[in-house]
Amino acid sequence: MTLLGADEALVAEQEVPAGSSLGRYLLLKAGAALVSLAMVVVLGFFSFRILPGSDPAINLTRGRRVSAEEVERLRVQFGLDQPLPVQFLRYVRDLFTGDLGYSYVYNQPVAGLILDRLVPTLLLTGTAAVISIVLGLWLGQRAAWRRGSWFDKVQTGLALTFWSVPTFWLGLLLLLVFAGGLRLFPAGGMMSPGSDAEGLALVLDVAWHMVLPVLTIVAVVYAQYLMVMRASVLEEMTADYLTTARAKGLTEDKVRTRHAVPNALLPTVTLVFLTLGGLVGGAVTVETVFSWPGLGYLTFQGLSAPDLPLLQGTFVVFSSIVIAMNFVADLVYRVLDPRLKAA
Amino acid sequence: MVDQTPPGRGRRGVLRRLAGAGAALALALPLGLSVAAPPPAAAAEGDLKVALTSDIDTLNPFLAILASSTNILRFQYESLVQYGTNNEVVPGLASEWQTSPDGKTWTFTIPADRKWSDGEPLTAEDAVWTFDAVKNEEALQQANGGLVTNVAEVTATDPQTLVMTLNSPQAANPGAELPIVPEHVWADVDAATYENDTDTVGSGPFVITSYAQSQSVELKANPNFWRGAPKISGLTYVSYKSTDAAVQALRTSEVDVVSGLTPAQFQSLEGQQGITTNSGAGRRYQAMAINPGAVDADGKPLGNGNPALKDKVLREAIITAIDNQTLLDRVLQGLGKPGQTEVPTVYPAYFGFAPGATQRTFDPAKANQMLDEAGYTKGADGVRTDKSGKPLELRLMGRNSDPTHQQLAEFIQPWLRDIGIAVEVSMVTPNQVNDDSTLGKYDLYFTGWGIGPDPDFQLSINRCDSRPNADGSGSTSESNWCDPAFDELYDAQHAELDPAKRAELVKQAFTMIHEAAVNDVLYYADSLEAYRSDRFTGFTKQPEEGGVVTGQNGYWGFYDAAPASAAGDATGAAADGGVPGWVLPVGIAVLVLAALGVVLGLRRRSTAADRE
Repeated sequence: MTLLGADEALVAEQEVPAGSSLGRYLLLKAGAALVSLAMVVVLGFFSFRILPGSDPAINLTRGRRVSAEEVERLRVQFGLDQPLPVQFLRYVRDLFTGDLGYSYVYNQPVAGLILDRLVPTLLLTGTAAVISIVLGLWLGQRAAWRRGSWFDKVQTGLALTFWSVPTFWLGLLLLLVFAGGLRLFPAGGMMSPGSDAEGLALVLDVAWHMVLPVLTIVAVVYAQYLMVMRASVLEEMTADYLTTARAKGLTEDKVRTRHAVPNALLPTVTLVFLTLGGLVGGAVTVETVFSWPGLGYLTFQGLSAPDLPLLQGTFVVFSSIVIAMNFVADLVYRVLDPRLKAA
Repeated sequence: MVDQTPPGRGRRGVLRRLAGAGAALALALPLGLSVAAPPPAAAAEGDLKVALTSDIDTLNPFLAILASSTNILRFQYESLVQYGTNNEVVPGLASEWQTSPDGKTWTFTIPADRKWSDGEPLTAEDAVWTFDAVKNEEALQQANGGLVTNVAEVTATDPQTLVMTLNSPQAANPGAELPIVPEHVWADVDAATYENDTDTVGSGPFVITSYAQSQSVELKANPNFWRGAPKISGLTYVSYKSTDAAVQALRTSEVDVVSGLTPAQFQSLEGQQGITTNSGAGRRYQAMAINPGAVDADGKPLGNGNPALKDKVLREAIITAIDNQTLLDRVLQGLGKPGQTEVPTVYPAYFGFAPGATQRTFDPAKANQMLDEAGYTKGADGVRTDKSGKPLELRLMGRNSDPTHQQLAEFIQPWLRDIGIAVEVSMVTPNQVNDDSTLGKYDLYFTGWGIGPDPDFQLSINRCDSRPNADGSGSTSESNWCDPAFDELYDAQHAELDPAKRAELVKQAFTMIHEAAVNDVLYYADSLEAYRSDRFTGFTKQPEEGGVVTGQNGYWGFYDAAPASAAGDATGAAADGGVPGWVLPVGIAVLVLAALGVVLGLRRRSTAADRE
């Protein structure tokens, strides 16, 4: 047992009082998540209302033939004539019934608008996340095991280079080369417009459209998984139990895959879940470059009015994903770490 | 013993390397193939695909506000009267119309053979239903409420005759712009929430058949369109979230038409095989507004404009120090027309100055002389002082969302420095510009309006009573400028039924705004667009000479489009928009290799465990 491991156990014990059950642990973490969510709701409601030039009734009618009465009527229709506390209470009340409000710009319920675009966003970021995690973790442990080797240097250098590249720029570059220049992939969208493909043809069509955006996300984010995995494995490299394993006569591959990697995975998995939430929100630029019909562009459109119910909705959804992922990270950590289970 | 054999050696290492080579081959193969043999050109068949680079709010014609939506709806619904290829009023649903001598009663004749796309007869009753719906239901006024405010009553004396009574006489045709919807569809639905995006019924050249939010809108040709069915099978709007992506899609023939290009994008497409670029005269003016001392609707001072600007001589000197031609050449690379009044060149009836008025020419020496004579003395640092002895320092505001604003400012700042005026530039959000300009919190700011075929609205926002309330609510004023003489001119043109006489009055009114030196029109930017001329041809511009194909006041651009003859078109990518043939085998290869990797890994693990 390394010193760091002992420290970690200590920290964990301070967070969760000794002897607490799994149920109590769950309750505490769930409570913390709910408090965060409540703060997001409050913050989301008030922050979008202090934006400069944020009277939606005026902005939406700008440049068109409207009378002052029409603008005022719009304001009443949006509920903006009410005092702020009343607006807030109404918003919270509706939220409890699952009603995210009615978009000013799209003239549709916000929940439906978000749901329509959440699926493409999750498809894109989910696929990219799986690939970058598998790739990052695998390369990371190989690089650590052969620390200082040619493989380690190349992989680490390559990953860090991609990590530092601006997502927007890399996306545009791939678009120019593979769509515009070589014409291998489409210039954007999720499926071919006007095609009524079904079944396998549809899957193929979507997969074909996904290649470039997924490649962009993977290239930019896999480095963090590689680096953490590499650091974790390095941490374990000098551990006594590896010497024991080798003494048993295990092959070097066995020592790595059966002993070093499982121990190194513990901090890594926690990090993986912590980053997943951010990945969804971070896909906005990739969605823009590749015209992916996801949540990012919806938020951008909402800002111009500002379409308050829409902005509040996307803000709550993005934040909920991050909060949920943090909660899952807590759970997974608890499940993976036998020390916490025993406590 | 510690096994020092590095991983990757031995029998399985070979296998793995083979797999790796296979993967590399699978990736390299399509690259090689595509370079070696570009896909053959597809015959120009199928729908015309148009890139859509801004979002659609809704396709319900009562609610749609965003230009992308209203542009699509122009193909779907015919109005009583339409704007022609030269922006003149031409027949639409109505073949002819008469105005009573007092200008308050308009009678439209709708021929008996007009039909909806589903074959139902289209009569005056449909128009009555539409006008009444907008007039009587507040929820349906969102998009076109302003078009019916002067309409008192609409009746159908018989199925072919529509009589419209107005509250006050108006010269602009009241049958223009408002999309007439089929009563037999809309009367049975809740018009305020009807999405109108699947298998719709319309009267224009194309009719919406399906819509995938944020992805595409499909329209099919309407065989019952009264001018005759279009020559192409339909239109498909394809959503791109950046114009750069849309440009790539045009290069690869994924789309046939792209609009809203920047000068750089436009120039990159010029001379490309199979692509035709069009720099069409735009409908928008770009100007710099000068705060003449803003006041609110009650006449109380509004905002914090520099009081020195109340002096018209100072405002004129500022305009005289700005070189519009250089701005046009350097900021727009010449892709535009030099500014005169607020009416752009595409409306020849109203474009230009009234007789006797002329443009102020760029002349810094004259500007300096004007300021010297008016008593603005230059200090040691070259900055003049105003009449109260304070240095002449002005703020210039622009939108951070529009790169041309920053470029304009970079030219104007030194030009004004040359005549002894210090300028502080700030680029802020569009909403901030809207708010601050409405509340008079500016000295100078960049502004611009898209002008419709009828100039009435643009003039109306210069009336004295268009000034906003103290909190910015109420009416919209273009430059917070007011002149009772202008209001008289406005009223005169508003009721003048003789087109030639009205045009003279309109020009006089716009010239008056020009002479007040409150809104310096710099230029009218061209609309930059490009299309695949190897696939489609026959696009009609509006105006026909030097006009635009996309974003017209009408449907001419795509209505007249026809497939290009198969002969003569050379190379181009697969234009059917489908998945190319190599994707399936390569996809399968990738999956098989991934599965192989997993299986190999598992086998290694299990055999290793066995050996333990």
